[in-house]
Amino acid sequence: MTETSIPAVELRDVVKRFDDVVAVDHVSLSIAPGEFFALLGPSGSGKTTTLRMIGGFELPTEGEVLIEGEPQGYKPPYQRPVNTVFQNYALFPHMTVAQNIGFGLEMQGVPKDEIRRRVSEMLEMVRLSGYERRRPHQLSGGEQQRVALARALINRPKVLLLDEPLGALDLKLRKAMQLELKAIQEQVGITFIYVTHDQEEAITMADRIAVMNKGKVLQVGTPQEVYEQPRTFFVADFIGETNFLPVRVMNLGSPVEVMTEPGARLTAAWADPALRVGVEAVMAVRPERMFLYRPNEGPTGPGWNRVEGIVQQVIYKGLAIRYEVFLAGGNHLHVHMPVGRTDTTFVRGEHVVVVWPRDAARLFRRES
Amino acid sequence: MNSAPAPTPAGEHRLRHLIGQWLFHLYGFAGYAFFYLPILILVIFSFNDSRSVSKWAGFTLRWYEAMLQDRQIMIALWNSVFVAVVSTAIATVLGTLAAMALERYRRFPGRLFADITLYLPIIIPDIAMAIMLLAFFNLSGIGLYTWKVNFFGVRLAVPVSVIIGHVAFNISFVAVVVQARLARMDRTLEEAAQDLYATPWRTFWRVTLPLMMPGVLGGALLAFTLSLDDFVITFFTSGAGFNTLPVRVFGMIRKGVTPKINAVSSLMLGFSLLLVTLALLASRGREERKVGFF
Amino acid sequence: MNELLQRKPSLRAWLLLAPSILWLLIFFIIPLGIIVVYSFLERDVYGGVVWKWTLDNYRRVFDPLYFKTFLYSFWIALLTAFFSLLFGYPLAYYIATRPEKTRNALVLALMIPFWTNFLVRTYAWLTLLRTNTGLINVWLQQWGIIDKPLPLFGNTFAITLGLVYGWMPDMILPIYAALEQLDRSLLEAAEDLYASGWQVFRRVIWPLSLPGVIAGTMLVFIPSLGAFVTPAILGGGKRLMIGNVITNQFLGAHDWPFGSALSVLMMAVMLVATLIYFRTGGEEARRGGLG
Repeated sequence: MTETSIPAVELRDVVKRFDDVVAVDHVSLSIAPGEFFALLGPSGSGKTTTLRMIGGFELPTEGEVLIEGEPQGYKPPYQRPVNTVFQNYALFPHMTVAQNIGFGLEMQGVPKDEIRRRVSEMLEMVRLSGYERRRPHQLSGGEQQRVALARALINRPKVLLLDEPLGALDLKLRKAMQLELKAIQEQVGITFIYVTHDQEEAITMADRIAVMNKGKVLQVGTPQEVYEQPRTFFVADFIGETNFLPVRVMNLGSPVEVMTEPGARLTAAWADPALRVGVEAVMAVRPERMFLYRPNEGPTGPGWNRVEGIVQQVIYKGLAIRYEVFLAGGNHLHVHMPVGRTDTTFVRGEHVVVVWPRDAARLFRRES
Repeated sequence: MNSAPAPTPAGEHRLRHLIGQWLFHLYGFAGYAFFYLPILILVIFSFNDSRSVSKWAGFTLRWYEAMLQDRQIMIALWNSVFVAVVSTAIATVLGTLAAMALERYRRFPGRLFADITLYLPIIIPDIAMAIMLLAFFNLSGIGLYTWKVNFFGVRLAVPVSVIIGHVAFNISFVAVVVQARLARMDRTLEEAAQDLYATPWRTFWRVTLPLMMPGVLGGALLAFTLSLDDFVITFFTSGAGFNTLPVRVFGMIRKGVTPKINAVSSLMLGFSLLLVTLALLASRGREERKVGFF
Repeated sequence: MNELLQRKPSLRAWLLLAPSILWLLIFFIIPLGIIVVYSFLERDVYGGVVWKWTLDNYRRVFDPLYFKTFLYSFWIALLTAFFSLLFGYPLAYYIATRPEKTRNALVLALMIPFWTNFLVRTYAWLTLLRTNTGLINVWLQQWGIIDKPLPLFGNTFAITLGLVYGWMPDMILPIYAALEQLDRSLLEAAEDLYASGWQVFRRVIWPLSLPGVIAGTMLVFIPSLGAFVTPAILGGGKRLMIGNVITNQFLGAHDWPFGSALSVLMMAVMLVATLIYFRTGGEEARRGGLG
């Protein structure tokens, strides 16, 4: 990535209100050129509305949208140097594939033979050569998706906006397209802003992710940051699988000390700055950071957390075994133990101790 | 020789069921006969070789000849077509624009007023509309203006009031049909066009209109049919001397019933049938191609 | 300008609406207003209006002569709706119980006559029903079935028949739509629970088709109330409905204020009928019946 000080897209304190509903609530983002940036969140989180404001299909109620440093103001979509791949592809049913792909160039007054040349190039890039005269309704979902992509990319926009483009595809095709999209983006070097509700997809494809919920951006970071260092309960819950243990804060020093219901003392490496001593909180640990041992076995010492429980369920998942463990206080944890690494397996009803290191534990405020 | 075995209870039930089915089919047939027979009889007697419309006296084409030679009827025919063409053209444009506004913009100040104004003409009985227009044209003096035009070689003098009235009741019908079509249209297509640098004007011509075309044509066809068939409103707004075909037929009935009226009626029926067939062919063709009008 | 349009969607909406609304405002709303105003004015010698306010026109409506005509129109509209329902419901049921391909063809076949000229269709009945020269009487007499011609013309029977003929498809279609959407498994469930054919109809089919029935009744009743052509042609000049009386006031007797009052009242009655329709489950009828 070249060092440029001007972000490809910038949102400054953007708010979008529809009557009394606040769809986007004071969002500020800075997206670097050439970045694959994901807007991740559940439906209703405001991610699509945010994307549409960048594209010009909605206008912000407050705040500014800048593309390459230029405020877009009230500019309609046809005056913005961005193109969009729509969720339902929005291919023109009354035009051929070639006419669809060349539409943007036609609108910009590019001469016909150049359009033809570039359309062929594009078709080759998305591996649909020879499809010029076909019509959208004759194409499969995956093919339509690639036409939509070609139609947008041919215009060499500064930024490409993608609104859950893979949602309608079946699993295998989706996974293949994820890799293809990533490859194309790296090849072409355009900034991609990608909206999805699939956290696995975001983690796979994006350079950075903005996790959104209820109109707010909760955290922005690389996939690794967002996965390993979530900053709120929602982010920890939304991304990957997490165990949540209700605890009470005893001490906010270093390390943070908490107590569970039946009186076990645990420590964590990080706590939400808004927590105070004595309040109820939640300890989050990823299942793959936990280990099962027979009682009185396994690492002990200040850097380790240990709780006792009984194995409730054993599910074989191919790569790992998922144990559902019932704890004394009525809580349960799930633990992922990789297959092949250890020879110890456990059975239903067996007494075990669940162990995890302090720095795998994070403390959050309780959220409904 | 031997009598048939007494039907078992189940067999009896089945027999009753069969008779019931057969009676049901009979009723269905009778229903359709009810609808079609009067029309068929009308057409048949247009070929009757006598002045009667109820006693058959042989086959002839003389009534059709008489009709074609009747200058008043021919003028009335051209008047009908001219009024229909002009009023359909105007009403289609106006109604389509209105439909686009109502379908695209959910809420805006004055929406209720626009809705009421556009849909009231559909539920108002035509006699009421006719007298309303008559009073208005009389009061405003518009009723005096005639449009003298040469239409395919025929010289016509069409009162402007008739055209105005036809447009007035057709706008609503066009709007309804076009709105129904627009409701089924994918709105993201227009966003996609704008995303690809098409200004609103070019978006309309290259994307919206082609996709809307089936609805627009359907609305135009409906308006054309309604205009051709209209009697009451034309009757009131045309004043003395101006006839469309339905008005002329009404006059002829008053004067005396002859198979010539049957001939004119058959002509009108044939024309309706033609329009219906065209509409069906057009909609079926479109279904197969699954695209817009291109 | 462009920016203003982009920001104010209501402006764009009205730009599109302006031509049609303007047309209707001038050539529909204002004429309607004129008629309402006229109904409160006096007539002048030539049939026009004198700008003096009066309620006499409305009082005259309640004259036995004119009030009877109103009642008569109401009666005919009711008869038309009733017979359209009586004969139309079974037909709708018949169509709804055919296999799918036949159904569509049957609906189309039903609509084709409906799309032809109303005047022509009414004229067809004229040639059939007339007392001495109508086809029905001529043939019945020829075949010796009757001695004297039957009074099929110039009476309530003729007018009702003409109106039923013209408007029955408007009754059949909503009922058909409602019946077609009927879930067959409901019928099977009813039969499974020991309901006889008649009970299945009364307790399951009829209630579920009711929205269509209501919609159809409205679609037949309201135009029949304002009928003009049918009584003019089939009434033989003897039977007048409110439409004919109104016509006479405007084109014959030249009493425009009175004609206006009659029209206003006729429209008021229709408005009330429409409102009743909307109250009594009209919403469902509109969704299910007119689709």
